[in-house]
Amino acid sequence: MASKYTPSGPVSRVIHEIEETMIALLLGLMTLVTFTNVVLRYVFNSQLIWGLELTLILFAWLVIFGISYGFKVTMHLGVDAVIALVGKPVQFAMALIGAGVTLVYVLLLMKGAWDYWAPFAGFNATTGHWFPTGFANSRDQGWYETEQVPIPFLQGWLEATFNMGETYEKLPRFIPYFILPFGVLLMVIRVIEATVRIIRAGEGSLIVSHEAEDAVEQAAALNKED
Amino acid sequence: MEVALLFIMIIGLLMLGVPIAVALGFSSIMFQLLFSDTSLASVAQSLYQAMAGHYTLLAIPFFILASSFMSTGGVAKRIIRFSIACVGHLQGGLAIAGVFACMMFAALSGSSPATVVAIGTIVIAAMRQVGYTKEFAAGVICNAGTLGILIPPSIVMVVYASATDVSVGRMFLAGVIPGIMAGVMLMITIYVMARIKNMPKGEWLGWGEIWASFRDAAWGLLLIVIIMGGIYGHPWIRFEQGASLFYWKGGAFTPTEAAAVAAVYAFIVASFIYRDMGPLASREPDGSLPVGFASPEASKRSSLIQKPWALITAFFHKDTRQTVFEGGKLTITLMFIIANALLLKHVLTDEQIPQHIADMMLSAGLGPITFLIMVNVILLIGGQFMEPSGLIVIVAPLVFPIAIQLGIDPIHLGIIMVVNMEIGMITPPVGLNLFVTSGVAGMPLMSVVRAALPFLAVLFVFLIIVTYVPAISTYLPTLFMGPEIIVK
Amino acid sequence: DTMGCDDGEIVVKFSHVTNTDRHPKGIAATLLAERVNAEMDGTMCMEVFPNSTLYNDDQVLEAMLQGDVQLASPSLSKFETFTKQFRIFDLPFMFVNMDAVDAFQASETGQAMMDSMQRRGLQGLGFWHNGMKQFSANVPLNAPSDAEGLKFRVQTSDVLVAQMEALGASPQPMSFSEVYGALQTGVVDGQENTWSNIYGQKFFEVQDGTTETNHGVLDYLVVASVDWLDSLDAEVRDDFMEIFLEVTAERNAAVGEVDANNRQAVLDAGGVIRELSAEQRAEWVATMQPVWTQFLDDVGQENIDAAQAINASVVN
Ligand code: NA
Ligand code: NA
Repeated sequence: MASKYTPSGPVSRVIHEIEETMIALLLGLMTLVTFTNVVLRYVFNSQLIWGLELTLILFAWLVIFGISYGFKVTMHLGVDAVIALVGKPVQFAMALIGAGVTLVYVLLLMKGAWDYWAPFAGFNATTGHWFPTGFANSRDQGWYETEQVPIPFLQGWLEATFNMGETYEKLPRFIPYFILPFGVLLMVIRVIEATVRIIRAGEGSLIVSHEAEDAVEQAAALNKED
Repeated sequence: MEVALLFIMIIGLLMLGVPIAVALGFSSIMFQLLFSDTSLASVAQSLYQAMAGHYTLLAIPFFILASSFMSTGGVAKRIIRFSIACVGHLQGGLAIAGVFACMMFAALSGSSPATVVAIGTIVIAAMRQVGYTKEFAAGVICNAGTLGILIPPSIVMVVYASATDVSVGRMFLAGVIPGIMAGVMLMITIYVMARIKNMPKGEWLGWGEIWASFRDAAWGLLLIVIIMGGIYGHPWIRFEQGASLFYWKGGAFTPTEAAAVAAVYAFIVASFIYRDMGPLASREPDGSLPVGFASPEASKRSSLIQKPWALITAFFHKDTRQTVFEGGKLTITLMFIIANALLLKHVLTDEQIPQHIADMMLSAGLGPITFLIMVNVILLIGGQFMEPSGLIVIVAPLVFPIAIQLGIDPIHLGIIMVVNMEIGMITPPVGLNLFVTSGVAGMPLMSVVRAALPFLAVLFVFLIIVTYVPAISTYLPTLFMGPEIIVK
Repeated sequence: DTMGCDDGEIVVKFSHVTNTDRHPKGIAATLLAERVNAEMDGTMCMEVFPNSTLYNDDQVLEAMLQGDVQLASPSLSKFETFTKQFRIFDLPFMFVNMDAVDAFQASETGQAMMDSMQRRGLQGLGFWHNGMKQFSANVPLNAPSDAEGLKFRVQTSDVLVAQMEALGASPQPMSFSEVYGALQTGVVDGQENTWSNIYGQKFFEVQDGTTETNHGVLDYLVVASVDWLDSLDAEVRDDFMEIFLEVTAERNAAVGEVDANNRQAVLDAGGVIRELSAEQRAEWVATMQPVWTQFLDDVGQENIDAAQAINASVVN
């Protein structure tokens, strides 16, 4: 994609590397788990009973984690037909409005993500319809388990910390759901950064116009040579 | 009234250049907070469940990944060589071969832009070299590329199936005849134009070249067999005494699993057989993969015997990581939109909008023909603003209940919607394939629009045929899977 | 302010996963909404969201605890995460027929189970019946050994997984909407379901036949959140519960007929139904009953005993 982003400095290079590796790893794992299950069923008449659920969890992780990366490198899709028709000052104003709307969107999501996740992890959700106005006394849902995913390690600690010492048979839900507050927090950070970038530069936007921009750039370069 | 405001807000935000996903999500959240008690927590739940709760949509990342490996791994150029060997000697042969190659690549890939990029990159340049105009080349590929979503597998069909709860397997089968039909119609049009305008024809390269190029492309084309045979079953032989030798062996996997198998298979072909990426690939002196044709300085491909450890290292090779990452990126981009379109769908359902619209339409005495024309118009207009899969998520739940009431087959409706999406991709001002083709061909958008026009007319005729002859869509799924069960 | 409801009315959203007019649960939900909207007009307004259009069975309980939906009726296995006792309904051959299931649910043990999730924030309001489960497969199933090595689609409940393993079959989790296609193409060989679902989803079309095993029960529990119930005026709650219990009694009484009609409809449509002789049935029971001991701690011996006592009294 027309990546307007190049990491500057060693720290952001490392973070960039981690983000891209995570995205590849999550999709790679999804594929391998699903493929393994097909082989197990077709060849060995067997299955990983938790394979399907785990794959769906990884799918949610991939996307919710990756959205923030998308804001960072400006890869989310938008309509730039109108933008192309107006002058620079109007473009800048439109970009600012766009960034503002996006910021409100991720902040509302942030409240929602916390409110949703908190009870599963034994924390309190916030009160308030639009804005967090305080903390509610949420009913603890630490006991709520996934359907089939086993707990790979730390079972005793999880039970003591999140389930009042009662036994977990399956992975508690707050673990897969953790991607919500975490991923949305990253979105908030990346959208703020993108907004600052637009204000500093006096131009730019949060969108690209289609999904194949970088592939097309490569192809165009190729066509130029001949 | 409130709903009209909701849609006006979405369109307004889109025009301002707000990301599509945010325009949908922001408007839905505002609507929900203003007009209902529904909590922000439920928005977060919907966002998570857009992925974790939709088993069907899981096919999308896998098909994208398979397509990623196919594009990086040199399948496209082998398919093109085979196409040229088959039809290149006809008048206008290279253009016809381009369409044929698009059809074959469409059968491996779930998206239209991917098809345009993979085939267009090579074919447009080749057509110009032998004397076709750039415009003609771009027009051909731009149109033929839309077959990516009509010929199975198809991301748009997956989304439609998920939104309406029809079977993906049925939708895929339903796309086969229309896909071939549309391709053949384009080829005939090109042939007629070529005869009239006396366009160049290639040399007949002989059966030897057909066989050689087929053998070379076969590893890629085998994927079609794996996907279709894996889902629907295939003829098989058994070697037990007393039993009949040939029999029909059942399917091995669901369409979603087929996508994952396709991705793994594409990785194996690209890394170990074609060796156009990964540890065995040929490299330019600077370490990069050769683009198009390797330069003389590039290293040769290695064989697995020379580097047996590649069996392990291929999984972690930077080419593999990069290809999977590219697939992940596109998945994220599309799913961000789809997830937010699902938020909008949730709001509309919560307010029981689809039923209200259906009741209104039906009490106004809407007939099937008016209804289908209306669907066409909505999609053609919506297609100007929206990414196709996001649009389907929003429109399908609105029109589906009406279609069922009017006795329209859900599979037929799905194919009509897909063909509309195809047309939306090549109509101005906004059309995904127009953008991609203009980029790939290095032409201004408006020239591509003009170039695509004659073929656009073909697709319109095709849309009319598909709309009024349901059997084109429903024949194969009914034959293989029995009549569609309609659940209200 | 939701469309269709008047200002000031208590809006009750009922989200379920079946159709509205043929499935026992859908019929009951539609009837409940009709009666509430007619008899409690001005006070309460019920909206039904069928076909998983709003939530699926898994999400709906979370949404209920969040206060985003008021009524739901998931299948009983969905409550196993709340209280392991609910596993008793999934255990194979625990109940001889629907009368036994009904009597067990009406007993003190059954009624106590409806209250057992209060500490998790849910209150059971009443059980809704679907029927007894049957096995179908792409080969004739007469003896339990016929199921050996076959792949069966199951709901992802530990008990149902164990039940399939006891048969020597391979349990396969799969989303409900994919089952027909998977049976048709042979991705899986069989499944277990009630007559209503076997007919409603046309599973019999793509199977060799259905064996009338009556080996398990598929029932639903209508639940509401404790917090929501507490928020209602006592009078409103009583009015609502009165209607609810009447609808429950009426539809549960009629479910036997729905079940029989669907069974007949399978036959009429050319489906094959295999009945088991007493000896054959005993073989199935012997093969699958070891699953009971596996889940004894979760279910409790006293509850199993209570169920068996009811079986005995129903048969006599
Ligand atoms: Na395709
Ligand atoms: Na368009």
